[in-house]
Amino acid sequence: MIDLTVSFNGIKLKNPIILASGVWDLPYTEIVDFNKLGGVVYKGISLKPREGNPTPRITETPCGVINSIGLANKGVENFNKEVLPLLKKFDTAIFVNIFGESIEDFSRISEKISDVSGIEVNISCPNVKKGGVSFGRDPKTAYAITKAVCKNTSLPVIVKLTPAASNIVEIAQACLDGGASAVTACNTFQGLVIDIESKKPLFDKVVGGVSGPAIKPQALYKIYQISKGVEIPVIGSGGITNYKDVLEYLIAGAKSIQLGSVIFNNPLAPMEIIDNIIKYMNEKGYRNLKDIRECIDE
Amino acid sequence: MASFQILPVIENRVVGPYTLLRVEDKKMHSIAKCGHFIMVGLPNSMDPFLLRPISFLSVDEKSFTILIKVKGKGTEKLSKVKEGESLKILGPLGKALEPPENGILIAGGIGIAPLYYQSEWMKSGVLFYGAKREKDLVFKEEIKDRGFIVNTISEEKRGTVVDLISENLNFLKGKKTFVCGPESMIKELKGIIGDYAKDTFVYIERRMGCGLGGCKSCAVKVYSEYKLVCQDGPIFPLHEVKFD
Repeated sequence: MIDLTVSFNGIKLKNPIILASGVWDLPYTEIVDFNKLGGVVYKGISLKPREGNPTPRITETPCGVINSIGLANKGVENFNKEVLPLLKKFDTAIFVNIFGESIEDFSRISEKISDVSGIEVNISCPNVKKGGVSFGRDPKTAYAITKAVCKNTSLPVIVKLTPAASNIVEIAQACLDGGASAVTACNTFQGLVIDIESKKPLFDKVVGGVSGPAIKPQALYKIYQISKGVEIPVIGSGGITNYKDVLEYLIAGAKSIQLGSVIFNNPLAPMEIIDNIIKYMNEKGYRNLKDIRECIDE
Repeated sequence: MASFQILPVIENRVVGPYTLLRVEDKKMHSIAKCGHFIMVGLPNSMDPFLLRPISFLSVDEKSFTILIKVKGKGTEKLSKVKEGESLKILGPLGKALEPPENGILIAGGIGIAPLYYQSEWMKSGVLFYGAKREKDLVFKEEIKDRGFIVNTISEEKRGTVVDLISENLNFLKGKKTFVCGPESMIKELKGIIGDYAKDTFVYIERRMGCGLGGCKSCAVKVYSEYKLVCQDGPIFPLHEVKFD
């Protein structure tokens, strides 16, 4: 019998496959079998609703996507009343990604969240004026936000990191020091698209966040660096599209992984990946995820 | 309820400046409604990465058709899918429309596709239809056969569909009107139809990531707030939509 369960610092998953924040909402429950997933992270919510950035908000890059959504969301009250009760019907771990423009915002919003498996703290969105990447680049701010959230909740706290940090290992250490149970590495990479007709950036906010297979090797290296450098569980995220990518992430040190943009290309990818991991383990004679992991030496 | 499937293409033919693809699917007929659309992509391909939102042209008991206008790499690849090859199809998506028995349709270019599908759900009406060239005015005879009065115009001969409407504004009086075409045309139209905008509905097109309300990419400003074309649309009351 194959055992896909994962457990770290109060987080328990029936398998390592988590649906990332920002790519899905409730209508996806019609297409994706949520009962089969290890977990889901609901899209970044803030204290008050946010309308998000002007359009266009998305375009393709070679083998990927670049977005400038700007954390459009209906706020924490809507999540608690309208979203969470519907998600609770599924047999999967529910996490919620939270966003604030100040440390106080993060404190207040974390107080309002309960009855989930954990909080994912977003200090890495590239598409907002205040907060986001600017918080995630500075170890002192990352520490202060993590500490503030941990103080206000008994739930496991995961911090979602930005690859834009000059030293992501240092940021992960700051999150650990602040009391985080894990880090998600990483959010989208900052990028730019120019409209050659208007000779202006395509996005109103100029910068966008690049995701998809185009960023997989870069993200994977960040996971490897953090896993080697800090004693904190890492949830790997960035460009995963198939089970072999998942294996790479697990071998590089990730405890579990998140699937994001791939569901735009193939909404059935989460289920296919889980089935293929089981098939792979059967073929190799592996019984659990520990059997997959090997230590990568320097 | 939407589903995601890999479905075979059973026809690929050129229709005017467009490519018509017929996809074999016996289930779509029982679930697709007027106003719905689908996301379409190439199986086993990450390039292009995103599926493309495309309206139905027609749906019957054995198949459905879509019309492709080549705009970039994605639509070019879709237009080259041969009979016997497959497509990824996610749908039907969007909010269904209760079409009136009789009404006005205003189409610009490939905007004819969803209106052709809508005409199937109506008994009669008037179509105002413009395109760049005369030979681009596809499906006008078929819509005539459905009991519609058809008025066409081409830029190579006389002008745009907006010119045609400004000459025939009275037709819009007391009728529900549905518009699909380039955003520049819709904006111009909104400028000339005045109060008729209250009974006018517009098919909005946006870049889409998922089609399922997940990515929040396909925003459109309705009054002062953003709505999603994939969930709240694609059809919106024209007077409520704020264009940039």
